Amino acid sequence: MKLKRIRTLIKNEVFHGPKDMVLVMSVAMPVLLALFFNLAFGNIFSDRAALGLLDKGDSEMATLLQSSSSINLKIYNNEDDLKAAAANGSIDMGIILPAGFDNMIQTGSADIQAYTWGESMLKHRVIIGTILNDAIHDISGSTLPVNIETIALGDVSSVPWNDRLLPMIILTAIFFGGMMLPAASLINEKNKHTLEALSVSPATIGEIFTAKGTIGAMLALVMGVLTLAISGQFHSSFLSLILVMGLGAVMAAQLGLIAGAYIRDMNTLFALWKFGGLLLFGPAVVYMFPQIPQWIGYIFPTFYVIKPVVDLTINGLGFDSIIFELVILIAIVAAIMIIINRIVVKLSSQALRLN
Amino acid sequence: MEKSIIVENLAFRYGNLLAVDHISFDVKAGEILGFLGPNGAGKTTTVKMLTGQLHPYAGKAVLLGYDVTKNPDKVQSRIGVCFEQTNLYEQMSAIENLKLFAVLFGVDNFNGYALLQRVGLAGREKDKVSGYSKGMKQRLMIARSLVNKPQIIFMDEPTSGLDPVSSEAIDNIILEERDRGATIFLTTHDMWEADKLCDRVAFMNQGKIEALDSPRNLKQQYGKRSLIAEISSNGDAIVKKEIDMDSPNTAAEVEKLLTNEKVITLHSEEATLEDIFIKVTGRRLTE
Repeated sequence: MKLKRIRTLIKNEVFHGPKDMVLVMSVAMPVLLALFFNLAFGNIFSDRAALGLLDKGDSEMATLLQSSSSINLKIYNNEDDLKAAAANGSIDMGIILPAGFDNMIQTGSADIQAYTWGESMLKHRVIIGTILNDAIHDISGSTLPVNIETIALGDVSSVPWNDRLLPMIILTAIFFGGMMLPAASLINEKNKHTLEALSVSPATIGEIFTAKGTIGAMLALVMGVLTLAISGQFHSSFLSLILVMGLGAVMAAQLGLIAGAYIRDMNTLFALWKFGGLLLFGPAVVYMFPQIPQWIGYIFPTFYVIKPVVDLTINGLGFDSIIFELVILIAIVAAIMIIINRIVVKLSSQALRLN
Repeated sequence: MEKSIIVENLAFRYGNLLAVDHISFDVKAGEILGFLGPNGAGKTTTVKMLTGQLHPYAGKAVLLGYDVTKNPDKVQSRIGVCFEQTNLYEQMSAIENLKLFAVLFGVDNFNGYALLQRVGLAGREKDKVSGYSKGMKQRLMIARSLVNKPQIIFMDEPTSGLDPVSSEAIDNIILEERDRGATIFLTTHDMWEADKLCDRVAFMNQGKIEALDSPRNLKQQYGKRSLIAEISSNGDAIVKKEIDMDSPNTAAEVEKLLTNEKVITLHSEEATLEDIFIKVTGRRLTE
């Protein structure tokens, strides 16, 4: 294999390769999915919880709340402004502290009027409640019988949907582009017979596969990192995450090359994607519905990509905890590489079947 | 003269079908060999084996001293292939197509513009190939097959479906390459083109080479030479009379004709390669 030829083929693929729906979908679909789910269930575009405060006396609360980094505190001078802000969503909650509030809570009783924006996020209300509780505790010096009751409506499952959907988004990001791009590129070259022209040049089938696989794997890795970042999960264990997702990206490109070597047209490729999606996204379904026995995930090869990612991000575990899955993932990638090597050797002597 | 291509007992099977049936031949350096045969005769399979795309079922092919099965890289870096079916990167320009292959072939100081000028594409170098006519694409395909100054050039129906001007331009390039010293392996259905360009032609039929010789020798060996006379008889009526030139009575028949008949025209006629192909194989070239 000559690196110069592989580099030339990669450059040709990047600058002159097909800019079709597969490429657009490879880039757009995972990003849109990540954005959509994070808008719906996550914290994207939502600032910190906003609390409005009208202090009719001279409470220490204002100073304590201002020092909190978890909320944005806005001070109001009259009740009407506070109510208007809560009504239009400028703040998640507005509270009115009566004159002598600090003395009241030190003697054991206090009344707080609170106005809540009806569309404020549940977690913002929880954060504000906790911060208020802490501040009251700091002023009074003891735990008061203050009970901020939060009623959650809808699904009260213990696993947030944002976390449940993350495996699906990450697998889509890695496997759609990583698999479809090399496969589509090979099919396109077969249909246009350009592969035949390459096959009588010094460029070998191995070099052609390496170039197309590299592009697929790079795209898969970039999309994986991007969607993880959009989901707000790319905050620690960078190297471990890159390693796991890099291996996942290689696996995706390998599967794409195998598909591209044998499939003759794009319709069949998309049909395979639909059918193969069951195998690829099985682990994501298992994560999405915790009531499914979790051991089922171990059956799927892609489980060994997504479980380490989930452990490193959502579960906050370290590298030590993913070694078992990592070893199996490396073994899977090596096994597929052996299969691809055999395909390359076979196709090198049977180019007619490739064209 | 040195031999560029030596083929010994070469065979290939597609399942139970023996597509190429143990053929043997050789081609000298600087020679143009025409490979003639109807569809399905085994021409393309033979070319694919000679260019390293297919491994033979039996036998071997040695090109420029290298066994193509054992050293495909050494062979492929020294040959050029012009396919019948257009297989250019159509979203790229002509010059980009050539430069890509020049890098893959490891050609230093490649001058693609000169090559494009030679095939009559000067001024259109940076146009996308998708906007080219069939003739322009075919000329670009030929230019691509020449980027590495190949010692052997395989051309598969290079003038198929082209207008006479484009065909003649391509024929001239083939002759120029021959004059440069390249060996040309020309696969064609066009007997006129083969007759005009080829030093020797091989007739391939059902996987076998049925005849291989120069067009002249094939015509002498298999063709019938005759004299065709147009004779005026009974006023305006004109009839044709054919006299076999290789008969022992030819001289007497010609004398009798000229003495007794009013001869309007008299000319010799020789067999075409198509006639000979039919005679040798029992099939037409265009079947």
